[in-house]
Amino acid sequence: MSIPYFPGCTLHVKAKALDDSTRAALAVLGLELSGLPEWTCCGTVFPLARNNYIGMVASARILANAAKQGDGRLVTVCSFCYHVLKRVNHAVRNSDEARTKLNDYLEEDYDGQLRVLHPLELLRDEVGFGALRNRVGAGLKGTRVACYYGCMLSRPAAEMDFGDPEDPAVMEKFVAALGGEPADFSWKTKCCGSYQVLNEQGLVAGRVKDIFQAAAAGGAQVIITSCPLCQYNLEAHSEADNHSRIPVLYFAQLLGIALEIPINKLGLAGRYADPEALLQGARR
Amino acid sequence: MTGESTMVSIYIMGKQYEVPDGVTIMKAMEFAGYRFIRGCGCRGGFCGACGTVYRTPGNFRLKVGLACATMVEAGMHLAQIPFYPANRAAYDLQALAPTLGTLRQHYPEMTRCLGCNQCTRICPQGLPVMDYIAAAQCGDLEKTAHQSFDCIMCGLCASRCPAEIVQYNVGILARRLFGRHIAPPARHLAQRVQDIEAGKFDDELERLMRMGREELQKRYYARDIE
Amino acid sequence: MYTPEMLGLVKTVEQSRERRLKETFPRLTAEEKTNILRSYHPDYMEGSMRPVMVGPNAGDSMPHAHADLLESRSLADVDGLPLDKVDYDVDVLVIGGGGAGTAAALLAAEEGAGVLLATKLRHGDANTMMAEGGIQAADKENDSPAIHYLDAMGGGGFTNIPELVRALVADAPRCIQWLESLGCMFSKDPDGTMNSNHGGGTSRKRMHFAHDYTGAEIMRTLRDEARNRGIRVVEFSPAVELLTDELGQCAGAVLYNLETGQYLIVRAKTAVIATGGSGRLHINDSPTTNHYGATADGLVIAYRAGARLVFLDATQFHPTGVAFPEQIVGQLVTEKVRGLGAQLVNIDGEQFIYPLETRDAVSSAIIRECRERRKGIGVPSGYGVWLDSPMIETIHGKGTIEKELPAMFRQYIRFGINMAELPIIVYPTLHYQNGGILINDKAESGVPNLYVAGEASGGVHGRNRLMGNSLLDIIVFGRRAGKNAAEKAKSVRLGSLTLEHTKRFNEELRQLGLGRRVAPILLPDYRGKISG
Ligand SMILES: Cc1cc2nc3c(=O)[nH]c(=O)nc-3n(C[C@H](O)[C@H](O)[C@H](O)COP(=O)(O)OP(=O)(O)OC[C@H]3O[C@@H](n4cnc5c(N)ncnc54)[C@H](O)[C@@H]3O)c2cc1C
Ligand code: SF4
Ligand code: SF4
Ligand code: FES
Repeated sequence: MSIPYFPGCTLHVKAKALDDSTRAALAVLGLELSGLPEWTCCGTVFPLARNNYIGMVASARILANAAKQGDGRLVTVCSFCYHVLKRVNHAVRNSDEARTKLNDYLEEDYDGQLRVLHPLELLRDEVGFGALRNRVGAGLKGTRVACYYGCMLSRPAAEMDFGDPEDPAVMEKFVAALGGEPADFSWKTKCCGSYQVLNEQGLVAGRVKDIFQAAAAGGAQVIITSCPLCQYNLEAHSEADNHSRIPVLYFAQLLGIALEIPINKLGLAGRYADPEALLQGARR
Repeated sequence: MTGESTMVSIYIMGKQYEVPDGVTIMKAMEFAGYRFIRGCGCRGGFCGACGTVYRTPGNFRLKVGLACATMVEAGMHLAQIPFYPANRAAYDLQALAPTLGTLRQHYPEMTRCLGCNQCTRICPQGLPVMDYIAAAQCGDLEKTAHQSFDCIMCGLCASRCPAEIVQYNVGILARRLFGRHIAPPARHLAQRVQDIEAGKFDDELERLMRMGREELQKRYYARDIE
Repeated sequence: MYTPEMLGLVKTVEQSRERRLKETFPRLTAEEKTNILRSYHPDYMEGSMRPVMVGPNAGDSMPHAHADLLESRSLADVDGLPLDKVDYDVDVLVIGGGGAGTAAALLAAEEGAGVLLATKLRHGDANTMMAEGGIQAADKENDSPAIHYLDAMGGGGFTNIPELVRALVADAPRCIQWLESLGCMFSKDPDGTMNSNHGGGTSRKRMHFAHDYTGAEIMRTLRDEARNRGIRVVEFSPAVELLTDELGQCAGAVLYNLETGQYLIVRAKTAVIATGGSGRLHINDSPTTNHYGATADGLVIAYRAGARLVFLDATQFHPTGVAFPEQIVGQLVTEKVRGLGAQLVNIDGEQFIYPLETRDAVSSAIIRECRERRKGIGVPSGYGVWLDSPMIETIHGKGTIEKELPAMFRQYIRFGINMAELPIIVYPTLHYQNGGILINDKAESGVPNLYVAGEASGGVHGRNRLMGNSLLDIIVFGRRAGKNAAEKAKSVRLGSLTLEHTKRFNEELRQLGLGRRVAPILLPDYRGKISG
């Protein structure tokens, strides 16, 4: 089955590992992601002002073009892209004004009926966590995993519809399906400092420290995320401050390991923290 | 489309002129009495000197064309945009790496693109300008290079950009980075340069230079053709 | 869009296509070629030329348009112009911002010279920008500079100056490599091998290209590099006269600011003329492919300073100018169209010339086909013959035209003709000034300290230039001129600035009763007409 897919800018260079591992892992599970033919940046921020429609134009065009693929779904994996596309889609579907303005400008006729999906949702609903469990080996058995959602995936709840905004559970169920053990992790939906990394290194460093401490307290051997910026902030600062040797992986990389996909296809070169120990466990 | 032409009214910067139907805007303006200094370069669609914006009666849309390659329309209101100020970075191509970082360092404003698509709409070459900027934003230099290849640097896209990006300068930087650092150099070319510098062809060329016309002619007509 | 009658005629072309695909029209023998040129080439047309009356070439025949210019007095008021206030004082002045001039400026700057580039329109508004087809260089295994030499000589009717041709062919690979290193996006295979085609008169496939924006790609790359290096450029300021000193050495130029009407005095130790060609003189009332500023200014001002001109009686008509649609009559249909396999076909669907003969021969054959044999296709401006472009798609696959000839495709589709599906109608158009200011292989003219490069120069191509040798010429001799001018500037001692040579020239004209017109003309005047 081939599903329309929006990779997003960051995944072309900086977070190529997220793109590679997502595509590779889903392909093994029979889900082929087919990139949209032409696309732009989603905008990376959802406009704070409700009537700032120019800030929604790029995403609305992406959605309208994706709708023309006729599948009814659009998959995107970067937390930022997912956040922005899903919210713009929500606005088009639910606000008459947003729908009219955006369609008028774009000269499109898009009604917001597309379902913007995260691969975790695909795994849950298309593959099924039960089926996934039967598909993977025992490589990750007993591995304690901290599920780091960050701030983008679950809030605002009404628009994101990603479970309990403060305590979502899909990633934990995913980990369990892989044979791992979700660690207790009180910081799982706290912000890592995000783009503040450009201006306020100190703020991000402090947050990252707290995040690692919380993960370590829960006994985590690995942290997973779907956000290139979280991944970057966590790894960059873990190295700088030497808080922790807990590796930070993309959830799709963990999935790839469980599916025994060769690590070079998952972009796992161990740049900052070394996932080797984990891999050895997985390969046994 | 024939020789005997009917006349139509056009408005050059608001002033009415009668010009023959079916000619290009450039020729019509000259017919109307203009002698270009700016706004005319190659007269053949290659130099980007003659970007023109216009509107036609009863239509809100801003239309655009190269004056040398666009036909007049009855009632059109037009103005040329022969120059538009642009931000351009100076760089040492040889010392640069072909990366997203390089593009961003020279044109940080590139990431401000809102995806409004005005640039693509206005491009008289019909290029996917927004898309090549999108590719640049992702660091896909090769795509930017190819998608922007037919750009004639007319400046119209930059005149419309709410993010104040100068798209065509991003384009040429990407193309030069691609041509210099990504496309592999031609090995046969380097080899030939080496051979020439080593004097490998000197004797033969000397001989030809001294050869009389008749002998040359004989060789010329006898040469084998690939 | 074609008229219904034209569409009817297209059928004949389509019906004969399958047969023609298998057919190779025989090449001309030496004798046939001489005959067809003598009988049909515009150079040999009765009454199209006259001997010029003054200056270094007095008595030599050339087209009226050129003779008119050379027999004109100064545009500037040379007696009243003050020369004591110098606006720019530089080592090397480059006149003309096309490919030759920009290459010269880059090399001169590289030699450490203080450079000023003065140009008439914008930097890059030039014939170089318009070149589509390609640039020659013998850099493949089966080719050599010697074979290139022979092709160029044969193309020029064996009249080319040998030392210039040698420089051209021997520098060629180096020049392409220089452009490559500047990031010029030549069309290449994934392993870096240059794509190369035939051009008219080549015996090897040595035409390098960048789709069909070859000249534009070279021009914008050189211009971009000049900007990176901080080379000073003054636009809209053509040179209207050279300056000399008491010794008769070139000492700079007078520029005319087209926008403000002021004159600017440039003192320069050496100068490079790179003002390009003269298509906008509309020799024989022909339409032209050339840019707006191609008005032979450089020849005029150098001539007054004592430079000799050569081969001005040989004008290149490009065989395939647009004959329809009317709006773009005279614009170029690049030779690459024939290089890719399109044949020339008459109204009956028959070939009448081998498509890749030299340009002079193909032009003559088209003129014969229309004028004498009356097998042309009628168009508003006269007649033309078919160029069977859809053959390219048959031979190389669907989509080739849009991919390999995007500029051509765009040019026609703007007027509703899809050249991938329908043949186009062409007729010879005024294209290239084969001759110009005589130079040696250092790019020196006969006037001390005055260098010349590019289409403004003469001798490299003899009486007929091959496609792809001009873009090459501007890089080879542009580089040589820039380098040598910078080198020379180091030892030049100038006297005081004068316009004595012009005053003498004007006086000579007056005595002969000539000089009623002024030159250079700088720009053609199309006010109140529809230009060709
Ligand atoms: C449509 C077309 C297609 C062509 N295709 C090919 C091809 O495929 N291959 C090939 O090898 N050749 C081709 N040629 C020929 C080739 O492009 C030109 O001969 C060559 O580029 C000339 O370069 P140049 O620098 O000498 O002159 P140009 O590029 O014309 O530059 C001369 C510059 O000098 C400026 N100038 C003029 N007068 C003055 C003045 N008084 N003061 C200051 N500046 C002045 C002009 O405005 C211009 O900018 C083509 C030409 C045309 C017109
Ligand atoms: S991309 Fe911009 S500068 Fe280039 S041709 Fe299009 S509008 Fe003109
Ligand atoms: S005009 Fe500017 S902001 Fe709009 S799409 Fe183009 S580059 Fe982006
Ligand atoms: S005059 Fe050069 S593009 Fe129109």
